[in-house]
Amino acid sequence: MKRREIIAALALAGIFVALYLTLYKMGAIGELSCRIGSCETVNSSRWAVFFGAPVAAWGVGFYVVVFALALAGLRARFADSRRLSLALVLLSGWGVAFSLWLTYLELFVIHAICQWCVVSALIVTAIFLISLRDYLAPGSPEDAARESK
Amino acid sequence: MAQQKSSNSRNNPVRTARNASNRPLGFYLLLGAITAVGIGGLAYAALKSGDAATVADAPIPSGPGSAAARGYMLGDSSAPVQIIQFADFECPSCARFTTITEPDVRSRIIDAGLANLIYFDLPLPQHLNSMAASNAAACADDQGKFWEMHDQIYARQQEWSTEATKNPRGPLRAAAQAVGLDMNAWDDCFQSWKHRGRIEANAAEAGRRGVGSTPTFFIGGKMYPGAITYDEMKAAVDGARAAAGAAAATGSGAGQ
Repeated sequence: MKRREIIAALALAGIFVALYLTLYKMGAIGELSCRIGSCETVNSSRWAVFFGAPVAAWGVGFYVVVFALALAGLRARFADSRRLSLALVLLSGWGVAFSLWLTYLELFVIHAICQWCVVSALIVTAIFLISLRDYLAPGSPEDAARESK
Repeated sequence: MAQQKSSNSRNNPVRTARNASNRPLGFYLLLGAITAVGIGGLAYAALKSGDAATVADAPIPSGPGSAAARGYMLGDSSAPVQIIQFADFECPSCARFTTITEPDVRSRIIDAGLANLIYFDLPLPQHLNSMAASNAAACADDQGKFWEMHDQIYARQQEWSTEATKNPRGPLRAAAQAVGLDMNAWDDCFQSWKHRGRIEANAAEAGRRGVGSTPTFFIGGKMYPGAITYDEMKAAVDGARAAAGAAAATGSGAGQ
């Protein structure tokens, strides 16, 4: 599988994870009650809102952009684009940094861990590592594609 | 032109799929699978939360509760059925229940003498200002105005919640003023936290009964988690009343 295909697949999974957390935060899911549990603690803490929108909603937007970039990167026009690779590295790198900050808050400030937030952090870390390889070893996915032809 | 097209088709995943290379097809199948799992998962989560209010019922654990746990009663203490409510002042679904469903419950069940209602605090850890709200309500109870304060606190939830403020005392005090409490007494009480033990005992009672969400109701030995509707509550009260009546009949029959 091409690296950008893997990135796109991971980003799509990330969209659903973040969408779930957003719907949860907005009350569309689980609106009938307030539950006792770590995810509730994290998702209703003061840090669950960022610039007026739920952090999870920013996550949805983030993954949509990564997904779109990765899909664009699969098209012939951008197949060899280093700039697109760099954009993916920078974007996912920022995502990793933000996830690290959120995980720090969960562990040391909120003292609760939300499992879906951890899943999102793992996804964005994987995206970052793969996009880093994609940037540092450009062309190799295309070579692989050519070899398999 | 033709050459360009063929080079296009090599790199364009859609066209390559047609060219019998199954890798891009696999990619789209993978995306489809992720989408299916994602949508299925979201639908399941939505349906599960919708069911929560009606599905679960569980017996109340036997044995005496904590002596320190004392709820706040509304209605006739000798009413045939008791509705026990565990709620968190900062929980949005509790506020929704209180403002939308509870007026009907009060007029058509409590005031009609079908049941009384006992309110227990269950401040959840994620709601940082909920303890303060329970404290404010307990201090209103000192002046015999728990229920008036209860209504004000829920109505003003967005003014004092964790997301609104780090210091809920001001907006809670405004609620106390709106109720018309003796503010000197309320201020002293609120600052002393003398009711903290009662509030914590009420929350502990929820733990003993296996309450996992707010609001949760106990009616006739069954647990109803979630903001149940008026109709569900009326049916539960009627059921509990019929069961109590039947038990009383059998009991007297056996006694004869």
